[in-house]
Amino acid sequence: MSWEMMAVFIGSTIRLAAPLLLSATGELVSQRAGVLNMSLEGMMLTGAFAGALASWYTGNPLIGLLFGTLAALPVALLQAFFSITLKANQIVTGIGINILALGATTLAYREIFGSRSSEAIPGLSKWSPPVLRDIPLWGDQVFDQVWLLYLGGLIILLTALVMHRTALGLALHACGAEPRAVDKSGLSVARLRYLAVLFSGLMAGLAGCFISIGDIHTFTEGMTSGAGYLAIAAIIFGNWKLGRMVLACLLFGAAAALKFFLPAIGIQVPNALLIMLPYVLALIAVAGLIGRQTAPGSLAQPYSRS
Amino acid sequence: MSLSFLQRVPQPLLRPLIPLTAVLIALLFGVALVAATGASVSEALGAFAEGAWGSPYAIAASINRSLVFALVGIGFVLAERARLINVGGEGQIAVGGIAATAVSLYGGVADLPLGLAFILPLLAAALAGGLWGGLPGVLKVKAGTNEVISTLMLSFIGIWLLYWCVQSSALLRQPMSNSGTLPESLEIPSSTMLPFFFGDPSMPLHVGLPAVLVIGPLVALVLWRTLFGMHLRSVGLNQQAAHRAGMPIARTLILAMFIAGALGGLAGGFMLQGEQYSLKAGFSSGFGFDGLVVGLLARGSIAGVFAGALLFGFLRSGGIYMEMVAQVPSALVLVVQGVIILTLAAVTLINRRGEAV
Amino acid sequence: MEHSASAMHQSQQHAAKAGQPWLQLESIGKRFGSFQALQDVALQIRPGEIQCLLGENGAGKSTLCNLIFGVHEPTAGQMLLDGGVYQPQGPADAFAQGIAMVHQHFSLVSDLSVVDNLLLGQAHGFLRRGAMADRVARLAEQYGLQLDPHALISTLSVGERQRVEIVKCLMREPRLLVLDEPTAVLLPDEIDALLRVCRRVAAQGCSVLLVTHKLAEIKQVADRVTVLRGGRIVAHSEHPADELDALVQAMIQHAPDSPAPPAAAASRSTRLQDEVLQVDGLGVTDVQGVTRLDNFTLVLNRGEIIGVAGVEGNGQSELASVLSGMSSPSRGRFFINGEELSGASPQAVTRAGVGVVPEDRHATGCITDLSLAENIFLNRLHEFQRWGCLDRAAMRAAASELMRRFDVRAASVDSRFGGLSGGNQQKAVLARELTLRNLTCLIASQPTRGLDVGAVQAVYGHIRAARDQGVGVLLISSELDELLTVADRIVVLYRGRIMGSCPAQPDQRARIGAMMAGQTP
Repeated sequence: MSWEMMAVFIGSTIRLAAPLLLSATGELVSQRAGVLNMSLEGMMLTGAFAGALASWYTGNPLIGLLFGTLAALPVALLQAFFSITLKANQIVTGIGINILALGATTLAYREIFGSRSSEAIPGLSKWSPPVLRDIPLWGDQVFDQVWLLYLGGLIILLTALVMHRTALGLALHACGAEPRAVDKSGLSVARLRYLAVLFSGLMAGLAGCFISIGDIHTFTEGMTSGAGYLAIAAIIFGNWKLGRMVLACLLFGAAAALKFFLPAIGIQVPNALLIMLPYVLALIAVAGLIGRQTAPGSLAQPYSRS
Repeated sequence: MSLSFLQRVPQPLLRPLIPLTAVLIALLFGVALVAATGASVSEALGAFAEGAWGSPYAIAASINRSLVFALVGIGFVLAERARLINVGGEGQIAVGGIAATAVSLYGGVADLPLGLAFILPLLAAALAGGLWGGLPGVLKVKAGTNEVISTLMLSFIGIWLLYWCVQSSALLRQPMSNSGTLPESLEIPSSTMLPFFFGDPSMPLHVGLPAVLVIGPLVALVLWRTLFGMHLRSVGLNQQAAHRAGMPIARTLILAMFIAGALGGLAGGFMLQGEQYSLKAGFSSGFGFDGLVVGLLARGSIAGVFAGALLFGFLRSGGIYMEMVAQVPSALVLVVQGVIILTLAAVTLINRRGEAV
Repeated sequence: MEHSASAMHQSQQHAAKAGQPWLQLESIGKRFGSFQALQDVALQIRPGEIQCLLGENGAGKSTLCNLIFGVHEPTAGQMLLDGGVYQPQGPADAFAQGIAMVHQHFSLVSDLSVVDNLLLGQAHGFLRRGAMADRVARLAEQYGLQLDPHALISTLSVGERQRVEIVKCLMREPRLLVLDEPTAVLLPDEIDALLRVCRRVAAQGCSVLLVTHKLAEIKQVADRVTVLRGGRIVAHSEHPADELDALVQAMIQHAPDSPAPPAAAASRSTRLQDEVLQVDGLGVTDVQGVTRLDNFTLVLNRGEIIGVAGVEGNGQSELASVLSGMSSPSRGRFFINGEELSGASPQAVTRAGVGVVPEDRHATGCITDLSLAENIFLNRLHEFQRWGCLDRAAMRAAASELMRRFDVRAASVDSRFGGLSGGNQQKAVLARELTLRNLTCLIASQPTRGLDVGAVQAVYGHIRAARDQGVGVLLISSELDELLTVADRIVVLYRGRIMGSCPAQPDQRARIGAMMAGQTP
């Protein structure tokens, strides 16, 4: 096993982890504020499709990115409206939206693209930071990534900053832990939760765009194939902490990258097992086998002043 | 949105009215979508009808599918009574299919008399599904784990387990003669296939039908007339009071999840032995989630499960045919389903003030 | 609206000189539906004073505080602040006009720090934790509150959490601080610390309205005392230290227009020597380390009714919970007919012959969505099991019989339990518990709470009938009159400890009342 192979592996890990990182960050903020946003998958798919569509139509991937990100917002608004205002069951709502999004994007795709199913779409270009890319042997492999990833990294850092050091982040934290305290302090729980869900929609849109116009440069039906649920698994495995969640996403990305890596070094492991691994890890975490789980106290519980 | 007038409608009338309205709204939406895509509505609807109930074959296929949804839905309703939400139908079907395939092909049952050839694999399927559902039950009792998350994770694990089984020659994959050999299992022996109800291959309705027609009312019986059912409902309504009254909480919860999972596993067995005859990748392909939706639609009633299962069974068949003939993508059906779920989720609020569901 | 300390002080000194009360309540009434919670209440709060509001549970103290704090609006009378009309539209309004309240239930976020909790809703943009920590330190200095600004709430004791709530209030520089039963959850030295804080707060010009039922506190800090009973002011004292006994009497005495309790039943069964319930040093410490029950020792004999008196919140709930098998004691043991049952399951307790009428019927006593018959047999459904199924016909017949015997009024045995009136529900619960096959002991908590006169009498009748048949009854009630009517002996719980015991006779009333308020006899 050469350094080069290792570099390819690390690069693939990062690439495959990217959409998870983006969507999981948004979902973490939402869950921290108390809303379990199961429609992550649907939002990502919507973003992926809208981004691909706009990019193909205008020939400009940047417009695609913008459009894709914004397209996820109405879906997030729907989830927010149902979960926060109507106080409906958040899991049912999420699953419903996912099915709807799958159907709608597939339908729209067939309508618009028809039989031109694998037409190449103008995609986002890659970029690598100046010094790091020149590291011999593996600088190129590891650091030459779609520039959206680096933007995503920046957003994650900003999110961490906001969540831990600003009044907004404090309020969001409190919404998920003890919404009554937030209400008593004069802030609006509903408004804060709406904000959190919309943010998760934004990030999910970005994640979807990463998949369609960032990585693969095409759109296929249902192309997110469970990434949204995987992001939720990453949050669970990371025990709702941003740092640990990032590690979990990288871990899951590595598991996906192993699919190509292991055969290259002569080890045969069934693909399915590798794909299954993240879910097994999340299950182990949620069973409390790796330490106590501390989910936000008010997760998935609508708040009403009583 | 003041819908308080609904509170004056007599209860037995109100109950099915809500899901019916939701379905109607969604269907209208679907028809509107068909028109929007520029396809001929009459052609699309005609194809849909043809595929759903246009021939004895179609009807049989639709009902066969309904059976799968019904079982998952019944399991969901049972667990829901104990306030447990089982979203793991997909995985339970998958492991049920795996178990049924394994026993049919390699369990030495092909020559057994008295129908044991097809009954034993079904039992294996139910057992596998039961374990797949019981595990989240145990986790809930021992670690307080939210069963929505654990059943969801196990669902994906089950799906990928199935992939592994059909892709590995060491497991269930048919012997690979060349690299083009499809990743699926051998076809199960004919003795393990479910006999047809009418004995007629052109109407391939299998004996799963009477089975489900028995299981549904049986579960209702268990819920409303047995001690276990009493325990289950009490735990769901007020766990503290049930505890004070000496009811076995842990045992009830685990058993409820086991049964729900077993029904899902059995559904997988029906799919394998009644329709597909070999285990392929994508075996469960959304049936589990559809069954979940049927369970949600039913709002606690077994009769509601049957109605919803039939609806979805015919929707699916019609959708497939509609795609083949009228070129309207079957994804339309997904859209209709999504709208149904969301409409229902929104409408639950109104009912909350009327009755305790 | 922030007042600077000096401006506040000035206006209050001015008011003090003029002898004017700062907050005035005149003929205040509050009605909830058909229930009159407060009637004709007059209250005055002077600047810089500590006034105690004394009364039992249900007397209306919390309602009065909520009116002052703007949670509700009065249905009669008016409130005046500094001479002008005071009509707060909500707590935010009250805060803005200088009134702050510390509730019994805190609204703190456990996984955040003290500073973060204080910043919630007050900060904008970047959090200036250092500045807030300094502010906390200064307030701590000013009022004598010990608090670590960066500690996580989850690591704080209940007393420390209360301090955070107090600091939250003091930060807004209030002119009146209302404390609703603050010492219920505190350890003795924490109570002293709190009272010291109250004195400091008052000394700096902010008035304190302290709601309590404990005489010790009144003795220590009260400048004036007002006694509330049944929604009315029944006493007021400008020199509480000298008039403590009279105050206690006022707290527990009947309001003039409620009927005198019916004479105690003449017949008493001869007491047999069999001990039904033995409790030995029972202690309960909750998850936050607060001792709720301490060294509770008691012997209950057959055919005897022992009443456990005390204002609610002094350990009664914990006692009942342990004895019914719903929780395990932290220390000590108890025996039923010689069999140890400490930490046993509710099922085992029931099998041992213990009937339980719980304090909160809807929480643990019944399942409102099930039918009357199902609830009556909730803990012995298996007796009606035939081949796994329930023999519903037999159940209905048996339930009808019990319905008749216990006079439970309902449309039928299949009626939804939640649709029955409170009185009938309680009769059904009694029907269930009193017909246990091997019943030897009945534990009844607040059994007549919320019931009408007829139902109350029916409950007493059933309890007495059980006693007459040799059942030992432990009657936990915060209604002293009830215990004097029904019980043979009374023990008094105060802060989880038995203050004393005496026969349940009317001439013991004063003594019992004093014990209920924390006075050792």
